Amino acid sequence: MSGMIQGGWEFVWASYGITGAVMLIYMASLWVRRSDKDSSE
Amino acid sequence: MSGLLLKEFLLVWRGRARIAAALTFAAATLLMFSFSAGADGRLLQRLAPGFLWLAIVLASTLTLQASFDAETQDGALDGLVLRASPGAIFYAKALTNWVFLAALACVLLPLIAALFDASLGTLPRVLAVLVLGTAALSAPGTLYATLAGRSRAASLLLPLLYFPLIIPALVGAVKATELAFFGDPMNQWSGWVGLLGAFSMVFWALCGALSSAILEDG
Amino acid sequence: MTRERVAAGFGVLGLILLGWGSYLGLFVAPPDRYMGDVQRIMYVHVPFAWLALVVFTLAFVYAVLFLVRRSWRWDALHEASLELGVLYTFLLCVQGALWGKPTWGVYWAWDPRLTTVAVMLLSFAGILSLRHFLDDPIRRASWSATATILAAANVPIVYYSVRWWNSLHQLQSSPETVSSSMVEPLRLNAFGLLALTVALLMVRSWIAADRRAAAMAPPLPAQGA
Repeated sequence: MSGMIQGGWEFVWASYGITGAVMLIYMASLWVRRSDKDSSE
Repeated sequence: MSGLLLKEFLLVWRGRARIAAALTFAAATLLMFSFSAGADGRLLQRLAPGFLWLAIVLASTLTLQASFDAETQDGALDGLVLRASPGAIFYAKALTNWVFLAALACVLLPLIAALFDASLGTLPRVLAVLVLGTAALSAPGTLYATLAGRSRAASLLLPLLYFPLIIPALVGAVKATELAFFGDPMNQWSGWVGLLGAFSMVFWALCGALSSAILEDG
Repeated sequence: MTRERVAAGFGVLGLILLGWGSYLGLFVAPPDRYMGDVQRIMYVHVPFAWLALVVFTLAFVYAVLFLVRRSWRWDALHEASLELGVLYTFLLCVQGALWGKPTWGVYWAWDPRLTTVAVMLLSFAGILSLRHFLDDPIRRASWSATATILAAANVPIVYYSVRWWNSLHQLQSSPETVSSSMVEPLRLNAFGLLALTVALLMVRSWIAADRRAAAMAPPLPAQGA
């Protein structure tokens, strides 16, 4: 096909990777903040 | 309400050192902009509307505080809320801020003409934009200045809250000023002025409605 | 059915859907006619765009509800939606830049959508800052609610004002204009992120509520369930 961008997988992996990593870190931070509260009761 | 307005004018007049400082600040800002943009005269001319409005916005962070100088000490503002509605207090402050900001903008105009070699085009149109643009800035600016006046922490954040909010007003004011300075072959000027008008209407109404949440709580 | 179970359920459902949708988007869906494989970023970018708008709309709703009803529950949900919204918008900008570089040649452009997103990110991050600096819970709640209402009202104004300039961003694509093999991963990821968002909002609002309660009341000696 003429005009199709070739490759670019590094951008795809970077997008999914950064998104996934940041989301996981955020979820972990929620977990930590929540358990802190539980243990201080 | 007229009593409130008079009080506001007097307060800002008493704080006129701050207004003078704001004017000097705006002038210094314009100088810095012109130096950092370099020596290309044509470029400076084109940038003049943008720099003018940036200077006005930056200076407004100083002038908007002027009406609060006397009242925030000793909790005078809290006493005032007992006697007048938050909405009235807000509108009195916002109107006063508008007048002084518009005056500051007009004073900057000759400075812009000199520094940036800008011909001022159709002066009535330019003045209209100055008046309407500063109106657009004054409502949200006054509300956030009220926040800043009542909490030292919030005063640090005034620019952070105020700047993103006024971006559409900045866009409209700069475009309209540009068209007024340099010519408007496709008659777009009124459209941008319309944007300023719409922005002003929305935020003058909204800020007035929300003023009780700021003035009565905390 | 405790609320923890409900949140966990939504969370797990969300992660499963996201995993499945992303797998399809990355390995099964065909490459785009013009954008090739880079187009696969869409399967994560578009759901985040939708959810960011949803979450900020919720923030606006919670802000209004708090000012009108004065229940702490709305303030907790307001705080949760602010934080989640800023997170999603930040990720949106990163994904968008990574998509823009190979397709448009630039990481950023000042067209309506991108500008609106940037203003949203700045506005709401500023409101989070405001909350952080205010210690009195009542003041924090009403002042940030006010700021959210102003920021939310600004969003359509920013969008339309910048729309008068050229736009590089694609035209809105509805699923009908996207081939069916691309719709499925998009829908899966969208619903997955929605489910995950519900879980995250719930948990984050509990954290906010507990913090506020701890700030306002002296500690109780012993707690029942």
